[in-house]
Amino acid sequence: MARNKYDVDEVLEDKFDISQLKRLLGYMRPYRKRFLSVAFMMLSASAFIMLIPQFFMKILDDCIPAKDMRGVLFYSGLTLLAALYSAFSLRYKIKHTNLIGQQIIHDMRTDIFEHLQELPFSYYDDRPHGKIQVRVVNYVNSLSDLLSNGILNTITDLCNLVFILLFMLLIDVKLTLICLCGLPLLIFVVIFIKKKQRSAWQIQSNKQSNLNAYIAESINGIRVTQSFVREEVNTDIFNNLSNSYRKAWMKASMYNFIMGPSVDTISAITTSAIYVLGIHWMMSPDSTITVGVLVAFTAYISRFWQPINTLASFYNSLLTAISYLERIFETIDEPVLVKDAPDATEMPPIHGDVDFEHVTFSYEPGIEILKDVSFSAKQGESFAIVGPTGAGKTTLVNLLSRFYNVDSGKILVDGNDIAKVTIHSLRTQMGVMMQDSFIFAGTIMDNIRYGNFTASDEDVIRAAKTVCAHDFIMQLENGYQTQVNERGSRLSAGQRQLISFARALLADPKILILDEATSSIDTETEIILQKGLNELLKGRTSFIIAHRLSTIRNASCIMYVDKGNILERGTHDELMALKGEYYHLYMSQYASFV
Amino acid sequence: MTPMKWFWGFLKKYRFLMLLGLLMTTILSVLAIVNPYISGLIVDEVIQGGKTELLPKLIAVLLGITLIRGFCRFFSQVVYETCSQGVLYDMRDKVYRKLLIEDFAFYNKKKTGDLMSRQTGDMDAVRHFIAYVIYALYENILLFVFAIIMIFTVSPKLALLMMVVLPFTAYNTYRQSKAVRPTFQRIRNCFSSLNAFVQENISGNRVVKAFAKEDFEMEKFKTHNDDYLDAQLASSKVWMKYLPVFEVLSYALNVILMLYGGWMAIQGEISLGSLVTVNGYLWMLTVPLRFVGWWINDIHRFTTSVEKIYDTYTEDPKVRMPAAPVERKKMEGNVEFRNVSYTADDEDIVKNISFTAKKGQTIGILGSTGAGKSTIMNLLCRFVDTTSGEVLIDGINVKDLNLYDLRDNIGMAMQDIFLFSDTIEGNIAYGRPDCSFEEIHEAAVMADANHFIKQLPDGYDTIVGERGVGLSGGQKQRISLARALLKKPAILILDDTTSAVDMETESYIQDQLKKLDGQCTVFVIAYRISSIKDADLILVMDKGRIIEQGTHSQLVTQNGYYASAFHNQYGEIPSVDAVSEAMAERRE
Repeated sequence: MARNKYDVDEVLEDKFDISQLKRLLGYMRPYRKRFLSVAFMMLSASAFIMLIPQFFMKILDDCIPAKDMRGVLFYSGLTLLAALYSAFSLRYKIKHTNLIGQQIIHDMRTDIFEHLQELPFSYYDDRPHGKIQVRVVNYVNSLSDLLSNGILNTITDLCNLVFILLFMLLIDVKLTLICLCGLPLLIFVVIFIKKKQRSAWQIQSNKQSNLNAYIAESINGIRVTQSFVREEVNTDIFNNLSNSYRKAWMKASMYNFIMGPSVDTISAITTSAIYVLGIHWMMSPDSTITVGVLVAFTAYISRFWQPINTLASFYNSLLTAISYLERIFETIDEPVLVKDAPDATEMPPIHGDVDFEHVTFSYEPGIEILKDVSFSAKQGESFAIVGPTGAGKTTLVNLLSRFYNVDSGKILVDGNDIAKVTIHSLRTQMGVMMQDSFIFAGTIMDNIRYGNFTASDEDVIRAAKTVCAHDFIMQLENGYQTQVNERGSRLSAGQRQLISFARALLADPKILILDEATSSIDTETEIILQKGLNELLKGRTSFIIAHRLSTIRNASCIMYVDKGNILERGTHDELMALKGEYYHLYMSQYASFV
Repeated sequence: MTPMKWFWGFLKKYRFLMLLGLLMTTILSVLAIVNPYISGLIVDEVIQGGKTELLPKLIAVLLGITLIRGFCRFFSQVVYETCSQGVLYDMRDKVYRKLLIEDFAFYNKKKTGDLMSRQTGDMDAVRHFIAYVIYALYENILLFVFAIIMIFTVSPKLALLMMVVLPFTAYNTYRQSKAVRPTFQRIRNCFSSLNAFVQENISGNRVVKAFAKEDFEMEKFKTHNDDYLDAQLASSKVWMKYLPVFEVLSYALNVILMLYGGWMAIQGEISLGSLVTVNGYLWMLTVPLRFVGWWINDIHRFTTSVEKIYDTYTEDPKVRMPAAPVERKKMEGNVEFRNVSYTADDEDIVKNISFTAKKGQTIGILGSTGAGKSTIMNLLCRFVDTTSGEVLIDGINVKDLNLYDLRDNIGMAMQDIFLFSDTIEGNIAYGRPDCSFEEIHEAAVMADANHFIKQLPDGYDTIVGERGVGLSGGQKQRISLARALLKKPAILILDDTTSAVDMETESYIQDQLKKLDGQCTVFVIAYRISSIKDADLILVMDKGRIIEQGTHSQLVTQNGYYASAFHNQYGEIPSVDAVSEAMAERRE
């Protein structure tokens, strides 16, 4: 799939797969007993409530003519009882429907989030983050009411419908059939608008997703926007997105609005038909239809159409929800490319021997980033990787952490193929410091401790001292307890690098990968840092990517990488003697001084 | 200004449309009473009375009314939805504009996920209120009042007695409002933090994976997810307590009718027919009563959300456009700092900074991590304002300049590179969306980006992920540089812009930048000496102060910070011959 951006709608196949509804039922399954008990309460309460008119009739027909005040009291008491029972059942319903609805979305959200944790970088790289976000939070939330109240009301309405239908059939079959003639009409309306309605809601959810993606990106990129004075342009783009969302919403909800009046009209038409035909039949001499039958029957007609009306609105919200549901399931179904092999074993404690054997890798088919790369690093060695930007240096180390799977070849750690061990056991033993240092919202202490939750405060401070972060942290108003956030608050890029460096160290990795870890750190600090690091790195294998050659001069092996291959390898002195690419790179930094 | 007044400011624009909707709702409610009346007539007059000649007319009226009702129902809903979408559109616009002018202080405090919640969940509560709650409330109040009047005409005593439930209703309303409000606030807060957490997890997915902390994230997610669930359930506990009361109160009306009506009928004070009539109107009283509790919920959901949106956005940013801005579309680029200090949270970030940069000069800034280098540039662009001292461009204090003119004249390639999920072309042209492709190409060439861009599958049309994921650090830096160059600014700021590119690329870029000579004042913040050695003036900073300044050759001989950094980075400098020899080979 090509990368997605804020103004590109995500494609989704046209047909709704009925198996998705089955999956939805799967989420409701654990609560089926609860569902049933609530449905029972609601039905019994509504049956009781339906008796109230009967009580009233009794009072009118029997008690009043007989001036029987006790009878009046009796039936009033029954009504009060019905009211109390109904209140009780309402209480029961509120309690359980909310529990069911919220639990289901809770479960569903857990599934989608859990799956997201397994999805590879590429999933996150390929689409705006706002679009992922809205699925986990907003789409899931929008389902809660449908999955609790919606479904329960539907169940009870269906039951009511069946009851009423039975009553009607008992009174008169012919009249009932006339009444049912309205249904095909309604089904016709539903089928007529269904396709359009469904695609309208799909478009709406696309537009919403686009808008959210743009908001998220605007917030994250605010500094660029302000410094490039793009406010006007962005506001225009935003308002365009906002407007297409509005239009899509209006269009989709129009279809929903058609339903209510359609049901009303069809109901009125069938009612009229019953009046006309009923009266006509009543007139004929051999008719079974009496005045009483007709009066009783007309009383039920409105009750028959009322649940149908609510069913129609349930159908509306179902269609709305399905457009969200599809997105949610789509995310949950997103294949996990990098995952544990079925027979994956735990990576034993790592010594630190690393072998690349004929590794070839491409992000996109046909464009090979690494071609047949082989090298081996022994425990305790430090490997430096240099080369022009875009040569594949970061890719090389990303493969070692198995962020991606190799196309061919093998990567071995202590002789174990990393594709055959669990990802968790592999990554927990490696420390990776990336080019972008991400800081979580929380205290600085929390951020460093992210590397190892069992570390004590002292351990955290020691790690911070090793990377020379301690001094600046102590200068902050609350020291280690200072709150920072994703955008890093007042921390400079160098300070953020130091913090994520400390985080990587705290993980006590057997293999350490430093990808431009010190690019935003001044040389003075870097030298002190390296001294501390050298102590710490004894016995650990490290891979260092750096452009500042002073950073890597003392590495046990320097690999010069370009165009997906290792062109030269050796110590600094060896490579200088070789007078190849590295030598030129090294000398070029002096070119302007002499 | 209160949140509600603020909200009214948006709704006002649509008040006539809203009134039109309410008018249709009024018609609807009145007709709602007429239809059962017609049905009654058919039963009484036609079926029981045998006046069949009336039937066609009555049927016609019945169908006509249903059609009018359907029409009114459809159009009133369209009207309300139009209003609500209109208000939302305006509100989003307003909030978005506000987001764009908020300053650093704001963004340092707020989480992205929180800000997103304002635009999604909270806005939706507003939509629901305008599109549904207002008219549902109106329709039911109308029904209620209408029914009370009708019952009053039949039997004033009965009507008065039925009004007895009103004080109880009012009391319960009051109690529920009070109890439910904090629960909705809690829900909104939990929603916000859930949103913020998920957002952060998505943004930080690389770190999560690198540290194999998926389990921890799941745990943390579970807490947020559970909190949200608990907040929802706590709210429903309140409903459980009060909503059934409304249910009982509404059926109490039936009891009153039976008991008091029955007694009056027995006493002969009221006819049976009147009782039947009152009973016919009763649903118009009970239905609204039963829904009062739900509407209280909806209303509180709405007010909490409006307050949240309002609170987030009403605080004015501290950095703002001056009242009488000096307009300078094209600046020369002379920069002067006069005793500039900047303090944040009682901490001196920079102190007493003074220097002058003439048009066309290159100023290098070097210093330890966190020395305040980027802050100087933030002061220049007015991302933050000085605590004391003055920053002048062409002799004008930046605080007096039109803020947009100021930023328009400064091209900045930042340390944290943010690229938008857009094509590379779109990213480079970010500052000048309407420029020609030639210009984009030219800027890319200058930044040495053209070469690698052309190798990408779709060249300049390649879509890069948010934050430029998928590109290497050096590639991102060069795109960000091209973006800044394309602006052809009077002042160019390169904040650590070449740290992730190799030496050769850097020296190529430097040669390219020399072409700007005299056109543009350049500030280069760097850790690598190679990035700044040719600067006209080098400022060395430590702990917020300038500790050394001069040119490379001056500073190298001073034996200070700069000199030691130089030696640390370059060690023994090889002989001139060796370097020239190597370079000569290179050229071959």
